[in-house]
Amino acid sequence: MKRMYLGEFEEIVLLFVALLEGEAYGVNITHEIIRQTDRAVRLNQVHASLQRLEEKGMITSRMGEPTPERGGRRKRMFTITAYGRQTLHDIQALRSNIWSMLPSSIKTSEA
Amino acid sequence: MKEKLTPAPPRWASRLLQWYCAPHLLEEVQGDLQEEFNYQLKYKGIHSARFDYVRSVLGFMKPFAIKRKSKHTHTSHSSLSMTMIKHYLVIALRNVIRHKAFSAINIVGLALGMTCCTFIFLWIQDERGIDNFHVNGDRLFAVYRTVTAKDRVAADYNVTMLYDTVRGRYFAFDDAKEVIPEVIGVNYYATGYELPWGHPETLQVGETIHKLKGARAGADFFTMFTYSVIAGDAKTALNDFSGMAISRKTATLYFSSPQEAIGKNMRYENKFDFVVNAVFEDIPANSTLQFDFLVNWESHVKRLEIASPKTLAVLQLAEGADPKQVEEKLNRLISSRFDKNATFKETVGLQPYRDRYLISNFVNGKPDGGRIEYINIFIGIAVFILLIACINFMNLSTARSVKRSKEVGVRKVIGSSRASLIGQFFGESILLSCFALILSIALFYLFLPGFNAFTGKQIAMSLSLPSSWVNLIILLLFTGIVAGSYPALFLSGLKPVGILKGALKFTNSSIWFRKGLAVFQFVISIALLIATFVMTEQTNFIQNSHLGYDRENMIYVAIEGELSNEAGYKRFKNELLKMPCITMIDRASEAPHAMSFIVDVAEDGKSETADDSDAIKWEGKEQGAVAGFKPMSVGYDFLSIMGLKVAEGRGFSRSYVTDSSAFMINEEAVKQMGMKDPIGKWVSAWSKKGHIIGILKDYNTNSLHEPIKPLIIDVKEYEYFGVILIKYGPGKTKEALASIEKVYKENNPKFGFAYQFLDEEYNKMYRSEAVVTKLSNAFAILAIIISCLGLLGLVMFSAEQRTKEFGIRKVLGATVTNIVALLSQDFFKLVLISFCIAAPLAGYFMYQWLQSFAYKIELSWWIFAISGCLALLIALLTICFQAIQSATANPVKALKVE
Repeated sequence: MKRMYLGEFEEIVLLFVALLEGEAYGVNITHEIIRQTDRAVRLNQVHASLQRLEEKGMITSRMGEPTPERGGRRKRMFTITAYGRQTLHDIQALRSNIWSMLPSSIKTSEA
Repeated sequence: MKEKLTPAPPRWASRLLQWYCAPHLLEEVQGDLQEEFNYQLKYKGIHSARFDYVRSVLGFMKPFAIKRKSKHTHTSHSSLSMTMIKHYLVIALRNVIRHKAFSAINIVGLALGMTCCTFIFLWIQDERGIDNFHVNGDRLFAVYRTVTAKDRVAADYNVTMLYDTVRGRYFAFDDAKEVIPEVIGVNYYATGYELPWGHPETLQVGETIHKLKGARAGADFFTMFTYSVIAGDAKTALNDFSGMAISRKTATLYFSSPQEAIGKNMRYENKFDFVVNAVFEDIPANSTLQFDFLVNWESHVKRLEIASPKTLAVLQLAEGADPKQVEEKLNRLISSRFDKNATFKETVGLQPYRDRYLISNFVNGKPDGGRIEYINIFIGIAVFILLIACINFMNLSTARSVKRSKEVGVRKVIGSSRASLIGQFFGESILLSCFALILSIALFYLFLPGFNAFTGKQIAMSLSLPSSWVNLIILLLFTGIVAGSYPALFLSGLKPVGILKGALKFTNSSIWFRKGLAVFQFVISIALLIATFVMTEQTNFIQNSHLGYDRENMIYVAIEGELSNEAGYKRFKNELLKMPCITMIDRASEAPHAMSFIVDVAEDGKSETADDSDAIKWEGKEQGAVAGFKPMSVGYDFLSIMGLKVAEGRGFSRSYVTDSSAFMINEEAVKQMGMKDPIGKWVSAWSKKGHIIGILKDYNTNSLHEPIKPLIIDVKEYEYFGVILIKYGPGKTKEALASIEKVYKENNPKFGFAYQFLDEEYNKMYRSEAVVTKLSNAFAILAIIISCLGLLGLVMFSAEQRTKEFGIRKVLGATVTNIVALLSQDFFKLVLISFCIAAPLAGYFMYQWLQSFAYKIELSWWIFAISGCLALLIALLTICFQAIQSATANPVKALKVE
């Protein structure tokens, strides 16, 4: 089977879920994306992506501990699944494969 | 973060989130939002945090957050839960799609009704907006005077001019502002262009000459009324004797800019110079006072020519003053100034100035009726048309309830409450109304240009204004609720056991109710149809009836400038007569189609002139006898140019020297003067005594709303006022206009050339009737269309129900005619009954309407016959359209399916 299609933003969210292993939940992911990529991201966009990723089976979630700043509500903590990890690997492999085929002029000018 | 008392996010947003968000997601979403809120609060402040929160809540309104997990469905019992709403929506849409024809009938019918309502609403809004834009509006009062004499009462908007040796000529309550503390402003207004003697006046600056519509007003004009002033000082604009204010349009005609105009002189009628003190914005269309320039009131009284004997007076009262008390004080003030022994009594009354446009008729000396009646009629029509459309919906949905009854039964068995069923059906009707509204907005913009063209208004609906949306939503809810009311109550009340056991039986009362609704629809439609016929006939009658004179191929121009002296007039006349296309020229002291000047008015009980020499007297006049005469002085050719007929005696002729002091009167005058053998008797008028040489056949000297008045005519070959009538060859309009303009320019260079066609001016007097007639035509057609849509739906349904029956009948040998007759007769009866109700109803109302005309058509039987036949024919065609279809269907198809 071909790999599952991932949107550009979904891919980023998936990457951050992997990056924040153990600490990945809505607000945290949003802030981290804003900090590292400098994109104007909103909570609802991140939530929508997380929802889709979960439906696609790339991440799983469990409810975490309630904290006071959330008004006593629990977080939903996300972890990447093996399938998700595989997908990221595939994407990366495909990218580097194509990258290596690029003429050196582009590679150097980019660098 | 230990701050427990930190500000919270907006509560409504939290609630909204709680309502729409799927329960399994709610906790984490709420948590995340709360956390984010606190984060924003810490770094960006409360406003940013709150704003961000609301934005996020709205941002979460996406399917992923709203969609419930399927296992949660049963936990919600609320009839308004998202799932139920979605379910109802699906059911409703499926129903709409499955019964395309019924849905189309419903939606088109409702849309037509709504469009019509929107138009009428905007028209009424526009009418009500007229004269309603003045900032002081609620404190401005128009003064009307009421004259009571010999148990006859008459009233009009006018101020009596009085005379005494101390003051000279003055208006009855000139000093109200000084004498009555509640009155803080008195303003007189009169135009220079109105009939009987008015015409657009000529203004000249350098070489620029134009004719413009001017008016005269008191110094308080711009402080009392709200007309925006763009240059100069409004408060003092009309203070001095030669002060004037001009409109932006006028300013741009003569000067480079409005500011440039201030302080400049303008030559008025080549007689006086006025100084421009202010420039005002062009007068909006919703003002009844229309003028291109205004001049000082003193000038009007002392040196300008008066266009009409009427003067409009408007008072501004102090804040909180009681108009009733002011009215009393005014009457006390003026009563001392009238002759105690006069045979008549004059009082004045106050009417809110903004009402003057809509309520301008007088009944028993008080303002009562007028255009407001048309407004009421149209409100009625709008409501009725919308009702007709709603009834379509009711009838079709209850008729089809057989199909829906199983659904209702199952729902009830499962445990649906009656309230939720009612909610469901209301929801469906509102949904259909929504579709109808969208369609009606499209229709509205489609018909808007046409509507504006024939009402002569500039109506627009801006969808960017919230108020239009509020109105549309009210319309939507009204339609949806009225249309859905009966089906919702009827369907939700069905007994589940009955429905599920066997076919639904309609009770007699519900069948009667449905038939009653159909009859109601047709009663309204037929009544409107009859009304339309009557109004169209009456309007045609007015426009085409023989008035007793010719108005085709006739142009008139005002006498002014060089034309107002004898030599100038003769030169103009002789030169123009040399032109090949001009057949005849003569003059008259008033435009002959709308003579409004009356002397010695008996029925109004007031005398225009204080001294007796002007009064009309005649041989054998009894003491105290009075008759209101329309006076006119004309040239020798007047009778032939107008095509007037002489009933007795002879017309004016140059071959009799004595004719310069002769009079002609009309038949009505003879009647009112009580003369026998009038020819040769003497009459005296305007200190001139002469013999009656002929009696004119009665002809209409004013609009047909007014009965024919006594007329007295004498000969004056030239006079300094009035109009020149020019008759030209048929089909030669262009050539005639060109030659008149050429001759006019040569002979009267200081004045602009302006002309009127007699027939056009005549038709203008009936403009409002013409508009109302056209509108009611359109609405009657609309009503019939909507009713027939409903009828079509009912027939379709009935045919569908009886498919099997017709199949069997056909197999057993019934002909197409049999079946069509079978299907038609029920509905045909309904239309017939409707006609029987509608005819007398419409007859009564139209009889009332016709009473407002002095000359009117008979309400003859054929009007009713034609409208009845037309309605029956249209209904029959509609019925047959469907009936033939089902009658010719192959019976095998009908019987094959079980």
